[in-house]
Amino acid sequence: MVAFRNTDASGRTTGLLLRCVLYSLLALALIIVDKRYDQLGRIRRVLSIVAYPVQIAVASPFEGWDWFRESVTTRDALRADKTKLEAELRLAQFRLQRYEALEAETARLRGLRDSTVGVTDRFIIGDIMDVDLDAFRERVLVDKGAQDGVFVGQAVLDGGGVFGQVARVGQLTSEVILLSDATHAIPVQINRNGLRTIAVGTGDMGRLKLPYLPTSADVVAGDLLVTSGLGGGFPAGYPVGTVAEVKRDPAQSLAEVDVKPAAALDRSRELMFVWMKPQAASTASSMAPTATPPAATAPPHAEHAASTPAPTAPPHAEHAALTPASASTKAAARAPAAAPKPVKAPTAPAARANAQ
Amino acid sequence: MMRDTRIRRLPMALSALVALALAVLPLPVALDAFRPDFLVLVVFYWSIVSPRAGGLTLAFVSGLALDVIHGVVLGQHALALTLMAGWATHLRLRLRVFSMLSQCLTIFALLTGYQFVLFWVDGATGNPVTTFGRWLAPVIGALLWPLLAGTLSRLHER
Repeated sequence: MVAFRNTDASGRTTGLLLRCVLYSLLALALIIVDKRYDQLGRIRRVLSIVAYPVQIAVASPFEGWDWFRESVTTRDALRADKTKLEAELRLAQFRLQRYEALEAETARLRGLRDSTVGVTDRFIIGDIMDVDLDAFRERVLVDKGAQDGVFVGQAVLDGGGVFGQVARVGQLTSEVILLSDATHAIPVQINRNGLRTIAVGTGDMGRLKLPYLPTSADVVAGDLLVTSGLGGGFPAGYPVGTVAEVKRDPAQSLAEVDVKPAAALDRSRELMFVWMKPQAASTASSMAPTATPPAATAPPHAEHAASTPAPTAPPHAEHAALTPASASTKAAARAPAAAPKPVKAPTAPAARANAQ
Repeated sequence: MMRDTRIRRLPMALSALVALALAVLPLPVALDAFRPDFLVLVVFYWSIVSPRAGGLTLAFVSGLALDVIHGVVLGQHALALTLMAGWATHLRLRLRVFSMLSQCLTIFALLTGYQFVLFWVDGATGNPVTTFGRWLAPVIGALLWPLLAGTLSRLHER
């Protein structure tokens, strides 16, 4: 048993209730101001600098251990590593051979339609810090912050594909929300047939889902999902995941589709923060034509897929639009992806045709 | 009296810092949900033992630190921690004479209240976390209480 020593001679704390109420009101005010007005960004940035030493202190033993292990690696292990890396590099170079040509071709085709949606411009690499954030939210802390130019809503990739996006920026660090977070959604496209939909996180690191596909949708296990670039938050054409399982229940109108993320969400140590080329003013109109090919290849499904999210999406879609992008100027640009407007797709090309 | 409280602030701040570090210490994903709220327990301890040394201020500041570190809406943990530390301070005279079992049960109630406030603010600000995992922390925290209170009292009463 623990015997507490009575340290207060009086045994009474004067104004306990008053102070409790005051502090609670202050906290409530903070919550409301932080939620409603986005004015606390600077304060939070300063506070995050204060928190930085704690995070560094916690992360450093693990980094020290990594460093120690690296420095005592044997020659043989290093040679094996080198051979493996060389093999990987050869493969990557082989794949890259046609990349330049393809990129030029894509740029030319895009130029024809004066659309620069989702073309990556430059990137920086950040390290994930060995710090646990919330156990129930899938977020990681990365050692790049406002001073490196990182902004809220920025797309983050790893070696395998799309990793997530920046949810909050501190001066020296930033928080990245993973694709698999239950409040995250990303506009995607099936690489095989161009079918557009939205991939939503499940809160489980190894799994995403496509909740807005009808049972009749043309999707099979093994399909590669890539970013569609709609909404402007993510660059187009980066792998998001592969379809792991499709469950079709004839009694339901929507299929249950599980997706395995392409990025190593639980293993990556290094992430890429991506900047996209500034978009032309005509982005809004040029997004619609991008959306047409799927309608051409799979008319009934695509039309359906585009219109289904409207009634079912709001809870998730709203989060997707609100949480990560609320502070950024991209909020407006993201909206079309989250609350799908691609329904307009058929009308836009007609308007363009008229204009010409 | 004044000197008394001044002496006591150092262990208070130190234990809070250590607890804060424990709150962000990386754990395997499987164990992450079992992480007890160390900082909350430490704040309860100081609210019970020496409320005069600024238990509520400690609660508020620790709460803010948790908000920043967890990256949630600013004020969430501060609100929950202030309310529950206030309650703990109110109960302190009774808590000191309770048996260990009753102490643990009271701490369990306080931790559950804490989680409930967090849950409520989460819901009110539009990112609800509805997994049952979060209700596990109070149980583990209450089980850990005897150990933590014993360690802290041994450290600061020397």
